[in-house]
Amino acid sequence: MGIQEQYRSEAAELLSSGEVKLVIGFGAGSTADRRRPLFARTPEESEKLVLDQNCIANLTTYLVAGGLLTDGKKVAVFLKPDGIRSLNILIAESQVKAEQVVIFGFAIENNEVTPLEGRSISDFAKLGEKLRTATPPPSVQEEAERLEAMGSSGRFEYWKEQFSKCIKCYACRQACPMCYCRRCIVDVNQPQWVSTSSHTLGNFEWNLVRAFHLAGRCAACGACDRACPVNIPLRLINYRMGKEVKEAFDYFAGESSDQNPVLASFRQDDPETFIL
Amino acid sequence: MIYTPFPMRVVSKREEAPGVRTLKLEFVRQEDHEFFKANYRTGMFGLYGLFGEGESTFCVASPETRKDAIECTFRQSGRVTSMLSGVDAGDLVTFRGPYGNCFPIEQFYGKNLLFIAGGIALPPTRSVIWSCLDRREKFGRVTIVYGARTVADLVYKHELDDWKKRDDVNLVLTVDPGGETPDWTDHVGFVPTVLEQAAPSPDNTIAVLCGPPIMIKFTLISLQKLGFDQENVYTTLENRMKCGVGKCGRCNVGSVYICKEGPVFTAAEVSRMPEGDL
Amino acid sequence: MTRILPKNKLDDCIAAWQKAGFSVLAPVQRHGMSSFGEVQKASEMALDLILTERTIKDHFFPQTEPLIKYKISKHDIDSETMTPPERKRIFFGVRPCDASGLEIDDPLFGWDYKDDYWFRRRENSVIVSIACSEADDFCMCTSVKLSPDSTRGADVMLRPLSGGNGWQVEAISERGTALCDTVSSLLQEETAQAAPLPRVDGKFDVEKVMEWLADKENFESRFWKDISMRCIGCGSCTFLCPTCHCFDIQDEGDTYQGIRRKNWDSCSFALFTMHTSGHNPRNAQSTRWRQRIMHKFNYYQGKFGVNSCSGCGRCTRQCPVDMGITETLQAITNLPR
Repeated sequence: MGIQEQYRSEAAELLSSGEVKLVIGFGAGSTADRRRPLFARTPEESEKLVLDQNCIANLTTYLVAGGLLTDGKKVAVFLKPDGIRSLNILIAESQVKAEQVVIFGFAIENNEVTPLEGRSISDFAKLGEKLRTATPPPSVQEEAERLEAMGSSGRFEYWKEQFSKCIKCYACRQACPMCYCRRCIVDVNQPQWVSTSSHTLGNFEWNLVRAFHLAGRCAACGACDRACPVNIPLRLINYRMGKEVKEAFDYFAGESSDQNPVLASFRQDDPETFIL
Repeated sequence: MIYTPFPMRVVSKREEAPGVRTLKLEFVRQEDHEFFKANYRTGMFGLYGLFGEGESTFCVASPETRKDAIECTFRQSGRVTSMLSGVDAGDLVTFRGPYGNCFPIEQFYGKNLLFIAGGIALPPTRSVIWSCLDRREKFGRVTIVYGARTVADLVYKHELDDWKKRDDVNLVLTVDPGGETPDWTDHVGFVPTVLEQAAPSPDNTIAVLCGPPIMIKFTLISLQKLGFDQENVYTTLENRMKCGVGKCGRCNVGSVYICKEGPVFTAAEVSRMPEGDL
Repeated sequence: MTRILPKNKLDDCIAAWQKAGFSVLAPVQRHGMSSFGEVQKASEMALDLILTERTIKDHFFPQTEPLIKYKISKHDIDSETMTPPERKRIFFGVRPCDASGLEIDDPLFGWDYKDDYWFRRRENSVIVSIACSEADDFCMCTSVKLSPDSTRGADVMLRPLSGGNGWQVEAISERGTALCDTVSSLLQEETAQAAPLPRVDGKFDVEKVMEWLADKENFESRFWKDISMRCIGCGSCTFLCPTCHCFDIQDEGDTYQGIRRKNWDSCSFALFTMHTSGHNPRNAQSTRWRQRIMHKFNYYQGKFGVNSCSGCGRCTRQCPVDMGITETLQAITNLPR
């Protein structure tokens, strides 16, 4: 039995036994190579689940949307390693309870889908270590190095051009599992911290605020980047922020679910005197 | 140009109730005032604003029979109303309007009038009340049922006193249970209940009803019990607005643009709107 | 014999139009995104694109538009209404769906109160459409009763020659005729076949859809929740739509001066209709998606006699979760009656 069939029948069992109230996975999309999020609530619906190399979205976003888990019931979700990393962060930030999530883990390598062993987040402890030491995808690393070589004024010009495309549709925010704030800072108007207009300054403000809010919290899943309708390479910003955090604090976000969020935790013996 | 407001000078500010104030505004430019005088009818609304903060939508609380100035009453709640609360006589604010439709007051001639208002919704009702009282001879009996949560929350207290003294107006005042003061001699109870007790006759009567959505909902039921036809009950709807002129796309309830086809509707019209969009 | 614009005369055309006082905008690929941008030479144009990622709406209803400049002093407020620049522009190589989008929005910006910001730009622009030679999986113009060579909203229609070396020229409006006159010496009379139009299969039955939407019973249908469950509530479908026109008005500046702006807004956003009291008439994503579909295929039709969709398919093409108008209308078409 292939992994798709195996996960389908397991999903059907979980739903029919009432173990989970919902399975979040992938279904066929509007074209041959598109997959779309699919919510299976009955064993019959789980027959529509698809799992192949085109299932790239990070579905943890749905775990923190609309109060899905507030009833305490369990949900099963299809996750790639970056999704598991996001889930670790969400658990570490007390947004999701580990015991409420059943994981159908899978990896895509060389266009092949392989299952990941384990169904509970605690089963994936080793994965965190592996991700920490993994090299980032060459496409990201090469582009990041190209930007580093530009120098600060070159980079400034580069990002000015990129942000000039921004239309403030907030697809990056909405697609991101870490953007779970009930009221985003840009939607606060007393005071108006960030200008709502989509002009040079407003676009810079928005993208920089988001970059900083994701520092030490980004799972590098690339959801923002893929969601951006105007092709701003957002993952490069988050990659760079992640690198800074790693170098400054020796911290890799989402390595495990019991991490202390790096920029939200304090120690009595912190060497920086201004903190306490 | 379309979104350019009129500059307005604040003539006076009156504290009505906790967090509720009335501003009296006069036009800075004669031509703007002429435009207003030529176009304003009771029921219309405007966008009141302050540069640097934005604009907020509320009704014109002054009647079409008194167009020397604009009165507006609002509760301090969001960014704009908070800043408007801070202005003083002599300050400049802005006004855009008058927009929307109006109460067909000529059609009310010769009829009895029943006004029902709750809390901060007296101002839009008051605009109709004065438009009628200023032409008192054209109407039959006038009954006003007004309720607020507490005595402190009643607005236009000085006018309530005036109406109380008039023998051509029947004023029924009420506050919610627990909202009364030791010296309170009027009703205690919710508007729909008090209305049913007062039991005004539906014969040849037009009802004008303004209030928070929940009050409207239950008062409509009471009016129905009393025998009022939905076609003879008028109300106003509010929704978030930005342009006021049918472009910005947010105030519609179903296919009805509140800013252009409203804010004044009959209960019959409201009942035809999709409830899930209200 | 038809009038032909040879491809190799395009640079001369641009020069002639510039000389006549026009700026020329065309599809361009810049900084990793395709949109309409000003060009000096034909080589800058990306005319082979099926469709630009951004629409030409951006140039008539920009994402942020200054309305009023203000200065506040102790006793006075100076304000100055800002108007869009009076600039004559030619939009060259507009796809028929985008051109139609402009015409669909005209009545909205014009009813009762005329939005000068829109119309000043409209009146100073000439739309030169090029019929499509290719379509992708998301194109759906034929489903909304348009076509790959629809002349709606166009002043001039160009049809690619089968040889690929030029276009048949057809002036649609007076403005288009005048524009052709400015380059009449560059146009040739020839017998040349236009390339066949791409096939755009019907994706839904818009009549059936409109009938279903008009039935009040369906407003509270479970359908809306099911179809929009995966919507993440971003504004990308609305912002990339050639006809979506909703906006916000915002003041921006410091205590003493600033600018009041008209900014794009989206019915997908929860805050769009939120009252200050916290009450939100459209408080669930499903009610917002319903609003979008109802607005386009029911309300707009009722007000202006036309649906607010020109079939470009961007809503689906760019959707982060593979939703869009097509899927919803397809599903409505297939609902059991």
